[in-house]
Amino acid sequence: MTDTDRGTQRDRDSAFYLFTQQNLPACKPVLTPEWVFMTFLFIGFIFIPVGLVTLRASHSVVEIVERYDIGCVPEPFRINKVSYIQDDSIPKNCSLSFKVPKYMKAPIYIYYQLDNYYQNHRRYVKSRSDKQLLHGQNQHGISSCQPVEVNNDRPIIPCGLIAWSLFNDTFTFIRNRAELKVNRKNIAWKSDREHKFGKNVYPFNFQNGTLIGGGKLNPRIPLSDQEDLIVWMRTSALPSFRKLYGRIEKDLDVDDVVVVHLMNNYNTYSFGGKKKLVLSTTSWLGGKNDFLGLAYVFIGSSSVTIAVVFTLLHLLSQRH
Amino acid sequence: MIYVRESHVEKMGKTQDVSYEILNVLEFNSTRKRQSVVCRYPDGRLVLYCKGADTVIYERLGTGNDDLNKVTRVHLEQFGSAGLRTLCLAYRDLAPDLYESWNEKFITAKSSLRDREKRLDEVAELIEKELILIGATAIEDKLQEGVPNCIQTLSRAGIKIWVLTGDKIETAINIAYACNLLNNEMKQFIISSETDAIREVEERGDQTEIARFMKEEVKKQLKQFLDEAPQYFCSPSGPKLALVIDGKCLMYALEPSLRIMLLTLSLNCSSVVCCRVSPLQKAQVTSLVKKGARKITLSIGDGANDVSMIQAAHIGIGISGLEGMQAVMASDFAIAQFRFLEDLLLVHGRWSYIRLCKVVMYFFYKNLAFTLTQFWFTFGTGFSGQRFYDDWFQSLYNVIFTALPVVIVGLFDQDISSSLSKKYPELYKEGVRNMFFNRRIVAIWACFAVYQSLVFFYFVSLSSSTSRDSDGKMFGLWDVSTMAFTCVVVTVNLRLLMMCNSITRWHYISVGGSIIVWFVFIFVYSGIMTRFDRNDNMFWVIYVLMSTSYFYVTLLLVPVAALLGDFLYLGVQRWFFPYDYQIVQESHKDDADSINTPDSEETKEHLTPDEARSNAISQLPKEVSKHSGFAFDSPGYESFFATQFGKYVPPKAWDVARRASMKSKSKPK
Repeated sequence: MTDTDRGTQRDRDSAFYLFTQQNLPACKPVLTPEWVFMTFLFIGFIFIPVGLVTLRASHSVVEIVERYDIGCVPEPFRINKVSYIQDDSIPKNCSLSFKVPKYMKAPIYIYYQLDNYYQNHRRYVKSRSDKQLLHGQNQHGISSCQPVEVNNDRPIIPCGLIAWSLFNDTFTFIRNRAELKVNRKNIAWKSDREHKFGKNVYPFNFQNGTLIGGGKLNPRIPLSDQEDLIVWMRTSALPSFRKLYGRIEKDLDVDDVVVVHLMNNYNTYSFGGKKKLVLSTTSWLGGKNDFLGLAYVFIGSSSVTIAVVFTLLHLLSQRH
Repeated sequence: MIYVRESHVEKMGKTQDVSYEILNVLEFNSTRKRQSVVCRYPDGRLVLYCKGADTVIYERLGTGNDDLNKVTRVHLEQFGSAGLRTLCLAYRDLAPDLYESWNEKFITAKSSLRDREKRLDEVAELIEKELILIGATAIEDKLQEGVPNCIQTLSRAGIKIWVLTGDKIETAINIAYACNLLNNEMKQFIISSETDAIREVEERGDQTEIARFMKEEVKKQLKQFLDEAPQYFCSPSGPKLALVIDGKCLMYALEPSLRIMLLTLSLNCSSVVCCRVSPLQKAQVTSLVKKGARKITLSIGDGANDVSMIQAAHIGIGISGLEGMQAVMASDFAIAQFRFLEDLLLVHGRWSYIRLCKVVMYFFYKNLAFTLTQFWFTFGTGFSGQRFYDDWFQSLYNVIFTALPVVIVGLFDQDISSSLSKKYPELYKEGVRNMFFNRRIVAIWACFAVYQSLVFFYFVSLSSSTSRDSDGKMFGLWDVSTMAFTCVVVTVNLRLLMMCNSITRWHYISVGGSIIVWFVFIFVYSGIMTRFDRNDNMFWVIYVLMSTSYFYVTLLLVPVAALLGDFLYLGVQRWFFPYDYQIVQESHKDDADSINTPDSEETKEHLTPDEARSNAISQLPKEVSKHSGFAFDSPGYESFFATQFGKYVPPKAWDVARRASMKSKSKPK
């Protein structure tokens, strides 16, 4: 080969030449039945074990769910629950008891669950001011808090519908006549506590209006320590949700009887909502949710079935 | 003043330079089909020399010399059958006073401001008559290399090929034989204006009668052929049909009353040859097919007389060559040789169609999957219109996270390699039948998009209804949506890889890059809090999300569950209901996948001159029938002329090799 030939050969192999001549080295996958079969089998082999492990984790979680919003309304008021809840003169104490079905290892988490409560409604979600939560008295950007922005010409801190509708039922737990201590610290996200809610911001002019939406806040505690508010303000995705209330740091044995004294303050009766109390342990994957495990097992087993069916059809049709 | 070096037989081969004065030049144009020059001899004699197509010259000959005319006509036909392009030469002696009066008219016409062309033509008519025939010339016009092969391949691809040329009918037929457009097994319908009956009427000279008679003739013939044609259709193994029509007849056949018959007849023929067509008629024929038959038309030509045809068709292709660049400048695509048309259509055209279908379908699919996920969410928000995704996610989805991979597919996807595309031209019909972008395909993609969006939304939201991790805390709206969005981006990008036919490293880079860019973006976005953030921004969402094992478990499950349906569909479709190109892919998948170098060029470079010559000689076809493309492949016209006189002259070897390796000018238009 002469020099010019070598030169053209080099040019022919250069990346730019290959690019413009559409000759790039490529892999051309052809989906043969062997590939299909192997892929489905592989998916089945991976997914079924993972699914079983996940299911095991989910089954190792013990969860107790008790609905209390109907049972806690005294008999005479059951006809008109709304007026019952809105009447401050009626005492709202209630107690319910349940038995622990399985051994529950500490920490045991206490949640309140609300159903038919649309925290993901558009006007609800936008009704807050993060700047105000972080920096306090701030003139900019709180128009999104309308209509809960000012009261008697004085700004409301924290403003907005989310804060105004703060959940205010309380629970105390008694086992064998001894109170179970509920740890209400560290129930909110750490990033929220440290970076979203100010250490120097105090509630001001809060829940002072004619319409009371929910709980009141202690004006002497800065927002970054108001963990109930922080948990409540993390709006949830679905209309049926639960939020963390606190932790019990002791174990509960089988057949323990736990009595709960609660204050039924929160009004979910106007819109047909439900309130439930949930006690749950956790595993490495979180709470009791069979969905992931079942999905894995389902996908895995259907993959294996498809692989088998596909191979049978392939052998029967005998193309090439 | 021009000087001509002449050598006369009487002067025993001595040359001398004789001067001639050029008085007028009547230039060539395609309506007149001739050109003339008036010159003055050194001794004062005025002569008009005229050169042009044989029909126009013969119309203007004077009486007398009939024998010569007849003999020349016979010779012209022989030249035509041999495929040579003929011209006639004639002259006329001019008297000085005749010339003077004509010259005045000529100068007036030449300097007129309006209708100059028409006036010049009229003036030329005045002097170009009573000519005396000198003789005829015949020129061999070689076909470009590779033309017959190319035409054969394209007709295998289902493309109908028509030839529109300005040559005589015999030349045109010979060209068609050389290109495999006509062969002896085809039934040929010939509509010519050179029959005896028509010549007879023409000699009478009455224009209106000629027009009427010709129109009647054309109509009669069209009807007759149309009636004959169906009987050849009934038998599938019957002969194919071909139509040959003359320019003059075409003029009458394109009139509104006859054009439908012409169109029907010509669409039933597998090839059509039109000869003696003017550029205007070329454009008219193209428009006839384009508008009448509603088919996609492509015109290819290389000269200025092809410009109107190139512009009239849907796609115009100009061949850049020795006849100048007018065709190239008027065209949509320009190629260097006719045989590159094969590459252009079968390789690049086909790939473009496939790529376009894929890109368009993918765009709709990915946006559908993305948007429908939000749609399912609205059922759970009381139809209040709350967005599921953050604003930035939605804006950047089509711009950064899913944009580049589909561009790469649109540039590089090849279902089969270029050499295989040319080997199986029937695959071109997939594009003609629009098999990759019809309602069925769109519906299937839409169904999968709906299925995937359901998987995205429900898998993610149902699995996040309890606490996220062992520390018992719960997810909020933005955490769930970030999880769903991550699954969408990963799934949609992986789906792209599944629909590629050939995967280069740019595919890997762009797909992997898009997913990585997503993660980089969300790391940055949720790590920074600025004054401009809207309420409930995504602060720290992804870091929390990625610290749970829930994230990884879900990220493995959701894309696989979403793509499972697609994968199954692809497997079933490819195996039980395959497209043609997939069968080709499978049968050639074990071929050595080397970088495709153009084979013929490579081998040619490495041959020695001797080998090249014998290679070329062995590729010349043998003469079989009268019409075998003799002129275009024959070794040397010397031997042709010799055989006319009964003598045998062997072809010269250097001539053969020179012709075989020569890349020359024009080809059939």
